[in-house]
Amino acid sequence: MPSDAGLGVILDTLLKRPVLLIRELCEAPVSRHWALLALVAIVTFALYGLVIGSFSGGNQWMASPLKVSAGGLLSALICLPSLYIFACLTGAEVSLRGLAGVLFAMLTLTGLLLLGFAPVAWVFSQSTDSVAFIGTLHLLFWIIATSFGLRLFSHMTKVLRVADRVHLKVWTVIFLLVCLQMTTALRPIVGTSEHWLPTEKRFFISYWIENVFSAALPTAPR
Amino acid sequence: MQPLRRLVILCRGDSEQIAPWLDEREPRWWLTCALTIAAGCALYGGVVGLWRAPLQAVYTAIKMPLMIFLTCAGNALLNGLFAQVFGSGLSFRQTSLAILMSFTIASLVLAALSPVAFFIYLNTPPLASAARGTGHSLTLLCDVLFIAYAGVVANRRLLRLLERRCETVGAARRVFWSWLAGNLFLGAQLSWVLRPFIGSPGLAIQFLRDDPLRGNFYEAVLFSIHRLIH
Repeated sequence: MPSDAGLGVILDTLLKRPVLLIRELCEAPVSRHWALLALVAIVTFALYGLVIGSFSGGNQWMASPLKVSAGGLLSALICLPSLYIFACLTGAEVSLRGLAGVLFAMLTLTGLLLLGFAPVAWVFSQSTDSVAFIGTLHLLFWIIATSFGLRLFSHMTKVLRVADRVHLKVWTVIFLLVCLQMTTALRPIVGTSEHWLPTEKRFFISYWIENVFSAALPTAPR
Repeated sequence: MQPLRRLVILCRGDSEQIAPWLDEREPRWWLTCALTIAAGCALYGGVVGLWRAPLQAVYTAIKMPLMIFLTCAGNALLNGLFAQVFGSGLSFRQTSLAILMSFTIASLVLAALSPVAFFIYLNTPPLASAARGTGHSLTLLCDVLFIAYAGVVANRRLLRLLERRCETVGAARRVFWSWLAGNLFLGAQLSWVLRPFIGSPGLAIQFLRDDPLRGNFYEAVLFSIHRLIH
């Protein structure tokens, strides 16, 4: 893949030949691809955030895209130092820039898949008033999209010929937990509130148990 | 070789490149390891102590690297003797450097996890809230998990280095387990002496508890077990 490849070529390679992109990100001495991937990730997350915001409307039209894209970026930045050290622990010879590229490629793939789910999510957003139901649906879509994105790290271990993958698996767990907690730290993303950000600190599991699993049944279908 | 490049190689655990470093006599690598431990543990310790108070963060940032240095110094002679009697072929100087390098790896892992620990702090019920007990427990649990993981990683690297340097794998493993047992034994007690690291909500913020050398970690564990049973 040429080092000055355009956005279209990068995204096409990401979807159809991810190993090639990973190799380019990890082995090329200088590459601007990571910046383009970061930009696409932010945009795709923001667009999916619009779909999330369409459920409640009002301030959420602006708040949800901001929170979803900022949350994704923040989660990646929080976990990037540990990704570098954990990648070193696996024995991988890869630069920080290369790893940042792989991380943003993961977010981009996640964002693209979320965009693919966006029409489905929108249809269900219009079909119910239940925050618990639609929140769970968005979470499910995010889990599916992220699982595809995380496969890029599996490709990376093959490209870099890493035998010991346990550290990257531990990092994956940390990353997922940070993302899940970020959804609670930046609430409300789906519902509405007087405040843009929460005034009380909650752990995501206790918040979900209280708001999602014990929520009242949704209203009768329209 | 640049110090940063060496730290990366140390993390990667390339024992073929790392093993010859034990033969160097210049103090530069020693200093690099010591500074890395100081900086990495101070960064992580500062984040851990933040939940209790900014002052506790300062205290913990000082005490975490101090605990490591005191463990290394306190067991230096014993570890060197174990290396001799188990036939590792390592000198006292090489023994201390090998152990210092393993603590350096642990410090790098903890430093890398500091942003995650800070994020956890930002999302933990604060001291002033009704759920402060939950906040204290969550901070403690995450701290234990992170330190345990860093410790396991660092010790696996140390064992690999010993297997490379010792004449036999058996000698390497005997030396390794003897060092680990000694460091854990002393380290646990030093963590007791240097407490608090997180800071209990009901107690005042202190650099050290009153009469810190009184009592010990193992008596406290036995007392807790006895209280649970009865």
